[in-house]
Amino acid sequence: MTRLPRLSPEAVPYVLISPFVVLFLVFGVFPLGFSFFLAFQSWEPTAGLASMKFVGLDNFAFAITDEWFWKSLKNTAWLAVASGVPQHVVAIPLAYFIHTSFKRTRNGVIGAYFLPYITSTVAIAMMFSTLFSTDFGLINVGLQALGSVPGLGWLAPAAPIDWLGRAENVKPAIAMVVFWRYVGFNTVLYLAALQTIPNDIYEAATMDGAGRWQQFWFITLPSLQPMIYFGVTLSVIGGLQLFEEPFILTGGRGGTDQTGMTTAMYMYRTAFEFNDFGGASALSWLLFVFVALLTWLTNRAFKPRGPAR
Amino acid sequence: MAHAPIGNWLAASLLLAGSAFFNAQAQQTLTIAAFPAVDEIAKAAIPAWNKKHPDVEIKITSRAYADHHTAMTTALSTSSNLPDVMVVEYGYVGRFAEGGGLEDLAGAPYNMKAQQARFVPFAWKQGTASSGAQVAIPTDIGPGTLLYRTDIMKKAGVTEAELTQSWESYVGAGTKIKTVTGAYLVAHARDIKDIIIRSNLQAGDGLYIDKTGKVLVDSPRFVRAFELSKKVRDQKLDGKIGAWSNEWSEGFKRGTIATQMSGAWLAGHLNNWLAPETKGQWRAAQLPEKAWASWGGSFYSIPKGAKNKALAAEFISMMTLTPELQLAAFKSQDAFPALLETHGDAFFEQPISFLADQKARLLWRDAARKISAVDVHKLDPIADEIVNTELDKVLDQGKDIRTALADAKALIERRVKR
Amino acid sequence: MQINTDRLAPRAAYLLVAVGAVVMLLPFYFMFVFASHSRTEIFNLPPPLFFGSDFLLNLDILTTKIPFWRSLGWSLYVALASTGLTLLFCSMGGYAFAMFEFRFKQPLFLLVMGTMLLPSFLGMIPSFMIMDAFGWIDQPRALYIPGAASAFGIFMMRQFVTSSIPRDLIEAARMDGCGELGIYWRIVVPLLKPAMGTLGLITFIASWNNFIGPLIVMRSPEMYTLPLALRSMQSPVNTEWGAVMAGSAIATLPLLVLFAISSRRLIDGLTAGAVK
Repeated sequence: MTRLPRLSPEAVPYVLISPFVVLFLVFGVFPLGFSFFLAFQSWEPTAGLASMKFVGLDNFAFAITDEWFWKSLKNTAWLAVASGVPQHVVAIPLAYFIHTSFKRTRNGVIGAYFLPYITSTVAIAMMFSTLFSTDFGLINVGLQALGSVPGLGWLAPAAPIDWLGRAENVKPAIAMVVFWRYVGFNTVLYLAALQTIPNDIYEAATMDGAGRWQQFWFITLPSLQPMIYFGVTLSVIGGLQLFEEPFILTGGRGGTDQTGMTTAMYMYRTAFEFNDFGGASALSWLLFVFVALLTWLTNRAFKPRGPAR
Repeated sequence: MAHAPIGNWLAASLLLAGSAFFNAQAQQTLTIAAFPAVDEIAKAAIPAWNKKHPDVEIKITSRAYADHHTAMTTALSTSSNLPDVMVVEYGYVGRFAEGGGLEDLAGAPYNMKAQQARFVPFAWKQGTASSGAQVAIPTDIGPGTLLYRTDIMKKAGVTEAELTQSWESYVGAGTKIKTVTGAYLVAHARDIKDIIIRSNLQAGDGLYIDKTGKVLVDSPRFVRAFELSKKVRDQKLDGKIGAWSNEWSEGFKRGTIATQMSGAWLAGHLNNWLAPETKGQWRAAQLPEKAWASWGGSFYSIPKGAKNKALAAEFISMMTLTPELQLAAFKSQDAFPALLETHGDAFFEQPISFLADQKARLLWRDAARKISAVDVHKLDPIADEIVNTELDKVLDQGKDIRTALADAKALIERRVKR
Repeated sequence: MQINTDRLAPRAAYLLVAVGAVVMLLPFYFMFVFASHSRTEIFNLPPPLFFGSDFLLNLDILTTKIPFWRSLGWSLYVALASTGLTLLFCSMGGYAFAMFEFRFKQPLFLLVMGTMLLPSFLGMIPSFMIMDAFGWIDQPRALYIPGAASAFGIFMMRQFVTSSIPRDLIEAARMDGCGELGIYWRIVVPLLKPAMGTLGLITFIASWNNFIGPLIVMRSPEMYTLPLALRSMQSPVNTEWGAVMAGSAIATLPLLVLFAISSRRLIDGLTAGAVK
């Protein structure tokens, strides 16, 4: 093997980071800058680049006084919490359980939970519109069947639920699909992180008399903190940018009374349906402010303090 | 072992000469951007094109309907990588026309204006921008029709005249149908609103907003549309079913949807895959109260940034003005021709077995002539969304109609002022 | 007889996990079932619950309407290239962010995180402009090169390095005379195996399912990747749903294979990470 060139510890980070930075500046920063620039313009895209008109803060002023923008923010926040929190609350214990209790069937179980993540949106749209169907969709059929299970009868609803038609049901339906899609993803992340915790710590704790629950609470969770920070940040960002699932479940329109319209979807429609790219860019930067704020809060809450182990 | 150098030299020079020969044939390419099923129609026309232009190869880029228009918006926005021929659908032709990125085909050198009389009038108008430029040439249209179940009508004792005489009688018939057979009149109450607001428009009227920027959503036309929709919902005459959903298709199969207003092409789909077993139990009629409306339609256009405009114009002329090609598209893809002279063809007299041998194409051909073009405003998509949201509130939450329309008006005006 | 609650809790947990797994798999199962039915049957209510007999027919429609296998090939090529590049660049970058101090470190990282906060479709038009300027339209490199600067990837790698590579190890290696790049290649990379496996999988999947990128960049149907090709079969009124489902089902298979392979790596990572 050829000898790698020797670099000083001062120079090496620049070398390591350079491929990324070059690509990032070209393909990441330019679109960012362009969209920032665009937020101050009025632009109808099919008229070509030359038709941009500078309008200052007009797009922002319009968005802030736009009741649809605030409605979409509320929807987005609700969906982000309702789909994000269960993902992590379920994924962590699930990963731990799989890590400790499944040896031979581990791959199969993880695979089952991860499968939703790899399914394409076309298939998901088709599948779930069938599953959520009011009269014959399997979800309603399943819920009715619960009624005949002793002890769980109270869970069954009185009538078949119109998931995608009634305004109050659209959001839970979307949250369910998002949860379905990403819980496995988070489980895999946590599982990967769990595998970096050395066994000897657990063995030592067992010898000291610590039970399973105590080990989980005092060893596993703290060791998982960097991964929790990562996972929760991703969920916050992803949740606030939720677009695909609401889009395909409501057929791109946002559902009855737009209860399913997230800010990202409103942005997309503003750009490609209402042909207002300047307005869409302004919306995205307003959303950016919210996401940045919440990411900062997540940072304060979950960021691991101190040097690495 | 050496190959004779002469052999190599000979091979090389032959190759060179050969490629020079082929290059002299100058393979030009004409690029066409389309979506299903216009892409199939264009593909089927390639042999006819090759007879006229054997040296020009046609390359068709096909994308899903929404993807295609997104890609075209992107290309128009940067004026680069545009196709020579751009297919645009009815839903987008208004905005693309106003954008100014499409070539004006009316005057020299295309002179399509001279051909105006050969096209179905409203379709031609749809392709005219507000500046008067003819930016899109229609190739197929979707004349609106009312498809209804004859067996359900018979059972409920409803005649076709009752269905179509007026909107009020249509809704009244719906009550009878519901009581006797339990079937829904329409899939969704919104469908009624959609037609009523589009009917009785004079040429030059706007749909939601008129030329001066005045918002029209509190006019009597809208009030009536909302009231009738509400009546339909209150009497439980609609199934709250969205088009193209499983419930919709199932509704046709099981006969729980008694009528459907749509483009004429729906009959073909019902026959092909939506509800083939219901063959013979449907009939087509004109829309109630002589409302004339269209559903969809495709247009050909040439972007200003295209490279081969002359060839593109020839292709468009071929596709839109050749009766054989228009009829071929009608027969294979159910694309109703926009070329008037095809309407006299024997194909229109043929009975359609799905509709119990009704000669429905005659009906549709009549409707096509009577449809009036609606002036398009760039805020139409969002106005449509605002009105639909208010209708949802009226139907689902019992909001008062006048308040809803006033709110809609305020929201739209906000945007008009920008 | 006393109920042994000690045994009950794990049993209940197993049951829950099993039920959860079934729920996760259900839509997936339906995708495969629908792939073997005609579109009339798919739109039935109740929908078909078991496999039908139309798979070969759907496959035939699929391969006639679009260059399916060719698109599959392109998807594979782009996804592999994208994964390789991303793993290399992001592990290098993540290691640098986690272990070193350098100028512009904080603002740069914030900028990188900043790009994660913008939805991808807003970048469509500027991306198109860049690709056009480079002459990369209709070329696969326009798909795999930009993605290598993945903010997600670098963030993830940074977290992994922070949590699983102790500084003393690096220091010890330095004192032993190992060169900096040698440290990266011989110590950091092997320790990052679980992370590489995970990020590699995620990147591959993202590239495989990406359709906005190809939509902007590809002009010729022969260059389409799978999602774009499958979508191009969807007309507003006349889609061959059976064929689309068949195509989607086949499209998931390579991902399944990849997952099976990489989850083995995750297990290898267990032993690698535990040994110090």
